Amino acid sequence: MKLLTHNMLSSNIKGVANGFPLRIEVEKATEKQVELNAGFLRNVFPMIEWKALVDAAQLPEVADSSMLDSDFLNKFHHALLELHLEKDALVCPETARRFPVSQGTPNMLLLEDEV
Amino acid sequence: MTTSVFPTCQLLHTCRPRPHLLHRTPGSTTNNRRQLTLAVTATTRAMEAERKNDGALKKGIAEFYDESSEMWEDIWGDHMHHGFYDPDSTVSVSDHRAAQIRMIDEALRFAGLSEDPTKGPKSVVDVGCGIGGSSRYLARKYEAKCQGITLSPVQAQRANALAAAQGLADKASFQVADALEQPFPDGQFDLVWSMESGEHMPDKAKFVNELVRVAAPGATIIIVTWCHRDLAPSEEALQPWEKELLNKICKSYYLPAWCSTVDYVKLLESLSLQDIKTADWSPYVAPFWPAVIRSALTWKDMTSLLRSGLKSIKGALAMPLMIQGFKKDLIKFAIITCQKPE
Repeated sequence: MKLLTHNMLSSNIKGVANGFPLRIEVEKATEKQVELNAGFLRNVFPMIEWKALVDAAQLPEVADSSMLDSDFLNKFHHALLELHLEKDALVCPETARRFPVSQGTPNMLLLEDEV
Repeated sequence: MTTSVFPTCQLLHTCRPRPHLLHRTPGSTTNNRRQLTLAVTATTRAMEAERKNDGALKKGIAEFYDESSEMWEDIWGDHMHHGFYDPDSTVSVSDHRAAQIRMIDEALRFAGLSEDPTKGPKSVVDVGCGIGGSSRYLARKYEAKCQGITLSPVQAQRANALAAAQGLADKASFQVADALEQPFPDGQFDLVWSMESGEHMPDKAKFVNELVRVAAPGATIIIVTWCHRDLAPSEEALQPWEKELLNKICKSYYLPAWCSTVDYVKLLESLSLQDIKTADWSPYVAPFWPAVIRSALTWKDMTSLLRSGLKSIKGALAMPLMIQGFKKDLIKFAIITCQKPE
């Protein structure tokens, strides 16, 4: 699962005040090469919750779109798209409930009593 | 399945204590309390039953699509929705992919989205995404980030695999999730897309609520779905024969109770959505079901169907019922679009 996916998901369990961001429980992190698409990264940047990405990868704490020069773009690209989390799970920050991730596909279905 | 369109409203009605219960006349207090307890118990049981029903429905939907996705993809490709055809045309299997893509483009146009891809949405949610055909198409068309959700793990996995194979893994990603509890924070998306999934939602109010919740200010919401005909002002409900026909279809396709296009409009109005537009596109999809039936009757596709399993076979046998429903003006193929205020 990529960090880009993690950045978009939240826990909506009943009673949870703020289910974002999900904590990540990971057994292994690998790196896969992905072709850098500057236009896409620039489009996606405003949609990213920066602190959540910073906490999940190693990036400068503060960022704005004026920083999207080649060096920073590379770091952003690498964190967002090239880090692959294997055998991981997403964890609700308030209830610690685990959402399993199977072969890169998160299962966010809530149980009957969580709705 | 007899879930009402607005189950919450129905349950509130059951809960409301009758006026005489509020007056504690001597000697009848126990009776009143017992009646209230019975009413509350009945309501709790009804809610429990409804939750179990919905649980069974979700499971049925997931299994139906887990089972039939591969066969569908084999025959029809990666779009799991109707094609948009010129009315009264006879089409062959080879025309369908183009028609399915035309359906997406016509829906975007109807909603008023710009033809210029650079002015299009940057963040899209595909609610009931199937194996991701719409998402990947929209991701490519608008260079947008698309998230898709489906109840079927097989579909989600396949959708992600296809995205990776097409070099779109960064733009389109798919999760197993419930459209009634979307796993996204509020206001994430500037296009909320539901292509032929609304008919599966047991609670239309909750479904629409979630579509609106995850829409960003100024976002466009597009719903393309099967509805039953709008009721005449004098009508309280559909005719018994109409209900019977829809019931049979529901059982084969794992559908909850149907609603009308007007029901969707009322829900959107109640949530202050703007520029609500609807159309009946039944004439434009009419060639679809006869074509599906013809394709199912070929030897190759028949064996594929038999291999897929009982749920798919039941689904296939229900196809003539859909045609009947359309012919009798009971079933409508509807598009409903609107804008969330800025």
